[in-house]
Amino acid sequence: MGDGVEDSVVIDVDQASDANLVVAVGRWHQPALAEVYRRHGGAVHALSRRILQSDPSAEEITQEVFLDLWKHPEKFDAQRGTLRSFLLARTHGKSVDFVRSEVARRRREERTSHETATAGYDIDHEVWDMAIADQVKEALAELPLELRQPIELAYFGGHTYRVVAEMLHQPEGTIKSRIRSGLGRLRVNLAERGVQPAGAEL
Amino acid sequence: MNASIPEPSHDEIRDLLGAYALDAVDPETAAMVEHHLEGCLRCSTEVAQHHEVAGLLANSGGASPATLWDGIASQLDGSTPPSWGRLSARLETGADRTDDLTGGREYAAAGAGAADGAPDGAANVIPITKDRRRGRWVAWTASAVAGAAAVVAVLLGAQVHHLDRQVAALQAPLSGAEQNALKAPSTKRVQLTAHPSTGTPVDVMVVLTKSGAGFVQAGQLSRLPTDQTYQLWGVVGQKTISLGLLGARPTVVAFSVAGSAAVSAFAITAEHAGGVVQSSNQPVVAGQVSA
Repeated sequence: MGDGVEDSVVIDVDQASDANLVVAVGRWHQPALAEVYRRHGGAVHALSRRILQSDPSAEEITQEVFLDLWKHPEKFDAQRGTLRSFLLARTHGKSVDFVRSEVARRRREERTSHETATAGYDIDHEVWDMAIADQVKEALAELPLELRQPIELAYFGGHTYRVVAEMLHQPEGTIKSRIRSGLGRLRVNLAERGVQPAGAEL
Repeated sequence: MNASIPEPSHDEIRDLLGAYALDAVDPETAAMVEHHLEGCLRCSTEVAQHHEVAGLLANSGGASPATLWDGIASQLDGSTPPSWGRLSARLETGADRTDDLTGGREYAAAGAGAADGAPDGAANVIPITKDRRRGRWVAWTASAVAGAAAVVAVLLGAQVHHLDRQVAALQAPLSGAEQNALKAPSTKRVQLTAHPSTGTPVDVMVVLTKSGAGFVQAGQLSRLPTDQTYQLWGVVGQKTISLGLLGARPTVVAFSVAGSAAVSAFAITAEHAGGVVQSSNQPVVAGQVSA
């Protein structure tokens, strides 16, 4: 450690909490970022690949997400939720932006919007590697189709609620409300299965 | 936003929160929601909850692709990235489990002003040598605090202003291992007290384990405006170094320092939200580590 202890700060990266890893990232500590990537890179990449259906694009998004964390760790607020959900939300936003720009450029020439949506629709075929995967699947399956479908089309299909409304031939206001109430119900369903999503209570 | 368009009501925004959380609104609507969220804790809390639920839906995928890490690491400001292979091997063997932050880049801010209002410190930071870090130090001790004009003058690595007001990230609950470490006989407890002239008795407890992990019980500190933060300092030898930002409303905050035995005193100052590289503010509380 050279000539002393003066400016050194120690972190045991593989034992550190996610929140403390982000603090270390804020101190320009690369091993901490590597550990964050080791813990969450797979989920980030999988979500992006699922939305984009393109490996090269998903890789770009994945790199962007972690480089953003490196540059702006202060954007993560541990009191607002977990690091994983933060990274996944960033991933989702970037992936959706990419999809929409691509769609605009191609003017939807190859696929119908419905086909685009259903391409990412089959959750059952995903590889779920988390211990909670079964509970999440059950909680989702328990949702009435009218609540489940708008969430899946919006989240995995990358569509705005207005597009989802067109696809499902429902009023926009109805879809908007169903997405919100569906997420609320899903949270309750998860809690009943012992999966308590993080985040402050209202 | 166009002034001729009436502001949406709270209920109208609230109906949009699910779609907003799933990025299922157009950019204009997103901007409108975000404007509302800035002033509505209830709605921003709900969005955070939706993000958590959505995150669980997305919790698929396998191991993190190692090849992608190489691409990320190569873009980290030209500094030498940790080898993925080395990291993997270390994690597997459990050996060499401690990383020294000074193994990375060393930086100092161009000046105290550079930190002000600049949470993203990258643009304001220049590499320095150790020699440049010496010189502008005023050794700070509890006895100095007792004086009428106690001043902290510090110089530290500019990593500090890469952190910002969201230092709530530090405020993680203590794990069982951390709780046990606090009970160890070698763990030091340091009482930080306010200067008597303030007339406000405030006690803050700093706990420092032999390994260098520390915690500040700072719940007694009065709340600061949101554009300010408390900043924790440690005196090591003749230097005063920043141990991190505590936020405007700290409770229990974790920090770590190498060579815990060398820390002779702690102090907390109130600073601009981005933190500072050197402070001329009188400590809010301070205390010496007993031998």
